Amino acid sequence: MAGATRSALVDEDTTHTDAVAAVAAGLATLLFAVGVVALFDVVSLTDPIAGVPVVTLVGGLLVLLGGAVVSFGVGSRLGFVATDPRPTAGLIAATAFGLIWFVVGGLVASQTFGLGTVGWTAAALVTGGGAFLLTALPREDVGSTLPAGAVTLLAGLVFLGGVIGPSWAWNLGWAQPASFTAGFVVPTLTLFCALLSGWASAKAYGGFGASGRHAGAYLLVYLNALAIVGVLFALVAFTVVEGLPGLLREFTVGLGAGPESTIALFGSELTFTWPFDWPFVMNGVGLLNDVNGVLPAIVGTIWLVVGAVLFAVPLGVGAAVFLTEYAERGRFTQAVEVATNGLWSTPSIVFGLFGYAFLIPRFGGGKSLLSGMLTLGFMLLPLVVITSREAMLAVPDQYRDASVALGVTKWQTIRSVVLPAALPGVVTGVILGVGRIAGETAPILLTMAGGVFVPGSQTADVVGGFEFTASPPFVANPELLQATSALPYQLYALITAGVGASGNVGNPDQFKWATALVLLVVVLSFYAVGIVTRYYFRSKLHE
Amino acid sequence: MSETTQSTTERSTDQPLQTTNGETAEEARSEWVDYQFDGQAKLAVESLDVHYGDDHALKDVSIEIPEESVTALIGPSGCGKSTFLRSLNRMNDRIESARIDGSVALEGEEIYQDGVDLVELRKRVGMVFQAPNPFPKSIRDNVAYGPRKHGDIETGALAKLLGRSDEEQERELVEQSLRQAALWDEVVDRLDDNALGLSGGQQQRLCIARALATDPEVLLMDEPASALDPIATSKIEELIHDLAEEYTVVIVTHNMQQAARISDQTAVFLTGGELVEYDDTDEIFEDPESQRVEDYVSGKFG
Repeated sequence: MAGATRSALVDEDTTHTDAVAAVAAGLATLLFAVGVVALFDVVSLTDPIAGVPVVTLVGGLLVLLGGAVVSFGVGSRLGFVATDPRPTAGLIAATAFGLIWFVVGGLVASQTFGLGTVGWTAAALVTGGGAFLLTALPREDVGSTLPAGAVTLLAGLVFLGGVIGPSWAWNLGWAQPASFTAGFVVPTLTLFCALLSGWASAKAYGGFGASGRHAGAYLLVYLNALAIVGVLFALVAFTVVEGLPGLLREFTVGLGAGPESTIALFGSELTFTWPFDWPFVMNGVGLLNDVNGVLPAIVGTIWLVVGAVLFAVPLGVGAAVFLTEYAERGRFTQAVEVATNGLWSTPSIVFGLFGYAFLIPRFGGGKSLLSGMLTLGFMLLPLVVITSREAMLAVPDQYRDASVALGVTKWQTIRSVVLPAALPGVVTGVILGVGRIAGETAPILLTMAGGVFVPGSQTADVVGGFEFTASPPFVANPELLQATSALPYQLYALITAGVGASGNVGNPDQFKWATALVLLVVVLSFYAVGIVTRYYFRSKLHE
Repeated sequence: MSETTQSTTERSTDQPLQTTNGETAEEARSEWVDYQFDGQAKLAVESLDVHYGDDHALKDVSIEIPEESVTALIGPSGCGKSTFLRSLNRMNDRIESARIDGSVALEGEEIYQDGVDLVELRKRVGMVFQAPNPFPKSIRDNVAYGPRKHGDIETGALAKLLGRSDEEQERELVEQSLRQAALWDEVVDRLDDNALGLSGGQQQRLCIARALATDPEVLLMDEPASALDPIATSKIEELIHDLAEEYTVVIVTHNMQQAARISDQTAVFLTGGELVEYDDTDEIFEDPESQRVEDYVSGKFG
């Protein structure tokens, strides 16, 4: 059946061979996962699983996978397996395999056999050229399986035979102390071989030809997506694992366990006791504290974001309304577009310097929460303009036509039709922007941050800070003009000044990771609020 | 406006004849100029020229449209029917490159002059578009949109607080408009559902109801049934027929059978933006004066 010009509409006798190819593809996926996990040190190479060290296990699996791929290709060529291959695997695959085998041959010749430059170049050229020809010349079923399976087999044997063991390291001999360790090389090679052989076995599973190529591409794209999700998950998980001990230090739950708080409302004071005590987020840094915390920085970050959003969103949306609905398309709108795009790409330290030189002298000459808010607001502004503009341009013109044809004025049309339809897009833009500004360190460093370790008494109380007077300016808020801290700055300060800080915060490493975790949680909370808001506006449009 | 109308009125001297093909225009004029009808002319168009940039989209069109009737505009694609329709409520003003010369009078009042209140004009001359375009709001909000924005109905929070809320009035208006558009029975249970959940034909009738809610005198329809299936189309056609008792309906259509079924008089535009013939619908389809029109309506050309 192999090589037949026409294949049957319904395949009946390919169940077993399909199963072999599917097992190979599954094995590749498993190895890919193991590679990702090992790369992030979640499992160590020397740890035994069922009595076998991981590196040996991985080697065995690789040999199995490589063997399966090779035997499938050969079986298909010899006609034992019914497939529908093309005459050749193609030039791209041939070039890729040629390059891979050039590197493999070169490395083996120079490192394992110790050949000189001429020797390893010749060996590399021979293996690379051989792989190129082996891929390009034979039929697709051999061309796309043999070179991939052989690489995988070789890698597996190298791991199995202990050529690359857990303690292996390859010193590059550069001026800088650079070396490849087994902890990096083994997972990377595993990932690489899993991708190659996974691709080959997915092609085999699809029976080569067009559907085989589809299956191969599908597997690559799928593994790629998995890897991205995996990396993100690993990053968050790593931060959580490292940060939790510091975050939950002396965390207690129970009636009356927490500190007392007083809320003053219209002259009456309400005093209550928190039902839990969470020192890390309820304390500042103080000599008498058992556990020091980051409360001032948390509050500072939240107020910063709130202030920046309150400043940037009305201005940005207003500018976008003008640009999309009123201004005529032309030089002016193009210039504004270029300027906003440029502003969004402007490094944050430049904004910080602007705040330092321009805002601070105008707000009492000292670093202040207000300067920080406005500086971050300026940073957020271009993104709000860009995304709001995009969102408004995406509102179909037929809504505007319909409204205008009913005799409704332009402004009312904008307010009742264009803005509601554009709001989800605007909110998306604000979410993206908040994610960026909440983590900014440089502008805060220059415009807002006070000391490295802020005592709890310096927590910004913006709402309670408003003072009303009978004479102009009638309202004042000293809290806004006070220097305070924010989480990213606190983190930066801890890392740069952390050595001398050990006395202040007990375990600086724990404190750092806990701060990072809190920052992550705060930013993700803003993100969640944004998503809920977007969902709300969207559901109003579609329910 | 005279009882029987003629459109050979002298054009004003500051507006020179702008036809590029003078002969054809003269010929065309001689063909339809004799059309006379009883009753009042609702809209009187005279020597209307529309340019989009360098493109001369409508050439020297003069026509009078009788009130409380259905006037169909037919012709091949790109012949200027829609442009003509959009000139009647000045929607062409929204196209930057459009330049409009000539005169359009609504009940004798020129709409192309300084000081025309476009809001008032478009309230009196409503429009329904080719593709159904309800707002992404509830059915009720769609219908009540025009009156609310015009301040005819107040249902805002402040109005409620002050006891001035016109909710009852709004309810009646919504019901009346939806009944007029023959949609009421289908949506009575889901007035607060989003209009985008309706089918295409229902959406188009909703758009008609929305236009009717502002109590227009003229209803312009730009191929309102072209995106709909035959059943929805026949509903819309019945509806147009009923609407003609109260409103002046001007409808653009590609579908000659549709024009023959629903209209009282038909204007034929042919390529190049000329109005070739304008007469009773029966005359146009059975005994047209121009050979070109006969070819077009019999399917030999176009």
